[in-house]
Amino acid sequence: MIQFSSVAKRYEGGLEALRGVSLEIGAGEMVAVTGHSGAGKSTLLKLAAGIERATGGTVMVHGQNVGALGETALAMLRRRIGFVFQDHKLLFDRNAFENVALPLRVSGFAGDEIGRRVRAALDKVGLLARERAMPVALSGGEQQRLCIARAIVNRPSILIADEPTGNLDADYAGAILELFQSFHRVGVTVLLSSHDEAGIGRLGCRRVALASGAIAP
Amino acid sequence: MTWLRLHRHALADALRRIAAQPLASAFSILVLAVAISLPVLAAVALQSAGTVAASLDTEPHVNVFLALDATDEDVRRIGEALRSNPEALSVKFIPRAQALEELKSSTHLAEILDSLNGNPLPHAFTVRVRTTDLAKLNDARDAWSKLPKVDQVAADFEWSERLGRWIHFGNTLLATVACVLAAAVAFIVGHLIRLQVVSQREEIEVSQLVGATASDVRRPFLYHGLSQGALAGAAAVGLAAAVAAWLGSQLRVLTPSYAAEWKLVFLSPWSCLAVVGIAGALGLAGAWWAVGRELRRFGPAR
Repeated sequence: MIQFSSVAKRYEGGLEALRGVSLEIGAGEMVAVTGHSGAGKSTLLKLAAGIERATGGTVMVHGQNVGALGETALAMLRRRIGFVFQDHKLLFDRNAFENVALPLRVSGFAGDEIGRRVRAALDKVGLLARERAMPVALSGGEQQRLCIARAIVNRPSILIADEPTGNLDADYAGAILELFQSFHRVGVTVLLSSHDEAGIGRLGCRRVALASGAIAP
Repeated sequence: MTWLRLHRHALADALRRIAAQPLASAFSILVLAVAISLPVLAAVALQSAGTVAASLDTEPHVNVFLALDATDEDVRRIGEALRSNPEALSVKFIPRAQALEELKSSTHLAEILDSLNGNPLPHAFTVRVRTTDLAKLNDARDAWSKLPKVDQVAADFEWSERLGRWIHFGNTLLATVACVLAAAVAFIVGHLIRLQVVSQREEIEVSQLVGATASDVRRPFLYHGLSQGALAGAAAVGLAAAVAAWLGSQLRVLTPSYAAEWKLVFLSPWSCLAVVGIAGALGLAGAWWAVGRELRRFGPAR
């Protein structure tokens, strides 16, 4: 489903985030990427979602070489991948419903279909009662769940989450990880990053450790 | 159907953005409308001048005035010489006595004319000519002024020809001014859209992250520019119509007797529609330029 072959990523300014990473994630698999901050976890996830382009090697997603895709094809690929951002990237000038509806509006869904899908996604993350709330009125954990609802509203076959438990207390983090596991159980390929080794350990999924931009042995 | 829905959404989004800031939108549309109404009014003025010019007697004719001491024999000889010219369509003789009567009846100079000893006016011929070619007319005029006992040859069509040339110049000037103002409209809309793009940068970024293509991002802004331009075009036509109606009423007060046919001719409905269409297209062009420029500047997320 996702395949990294000797992938390197060097940012403008010389920072080398990834160095020759090779990794294969099968369909329906759940993989957790661990490592200290600055190890290259976020970069790896962004490459898999087509948000960043590799400067070396190839990234294959859904059988497509991400690096060779044009702008439009890349946008179409992103529609098939749900991404939970570390900084949430919620729009604070619109309510919870509209935030979750954004990917569907971009894809040109009809109004009633948007309503159905958004409510299903909000229900899944336990925010159905708060669909009219503005993001600023939501707690950190609720904002995180809103971001997850937006990532799954398009019913993607790949779900990628960057530090989804980053700023949450242990109980809440556990509930969020449980949520990802439930998506994994219904066949979604899940790729997430975390520096919370203990929490990841309880998930019992495959773990990939990154250190200084390379896969640690 | 998805394609149609995307366009419908983009148009609704654009109109919502205009309605969300009613005062700001009204001001920008008014600024654009004033800029567009200037060439529209100039076009109305030129069209009206053209109508007046067309209603005037512009058939080219030449007046040939004889010397005061010309005899009947001279009149006959000159008349024949004029008629034999291939450019002459018709030749009409105006005896000096008739010319004096006409002058007395059409002006208030009767008393002065009566106080003079004798008739100061010469015999004259009015020659309608076949051609409007200036070179040929000049040849004919030169030939006729060389005839013995011909005092003066005056071509009365010259001023109407000059009027025509002024109207032509006016049209050129109008086209130039219209082009300059059209560019101004495109730039103003472009600038307004650019501000919109910058203020919605976050939304654009997130949209791109969840799979919006460049055209998805561009679409609502293009509709915004298009509707802003078209609304401004419609407002400009209204504004110009109001100004023209007011000027028309002033013109009627000024020229009640001798120029009853002088009136302002407003644009046809089709021309009004064209103004709205062109203004919309200019808004679209400005938006296209602005969005493209801004999107390149903060670049697609990658």
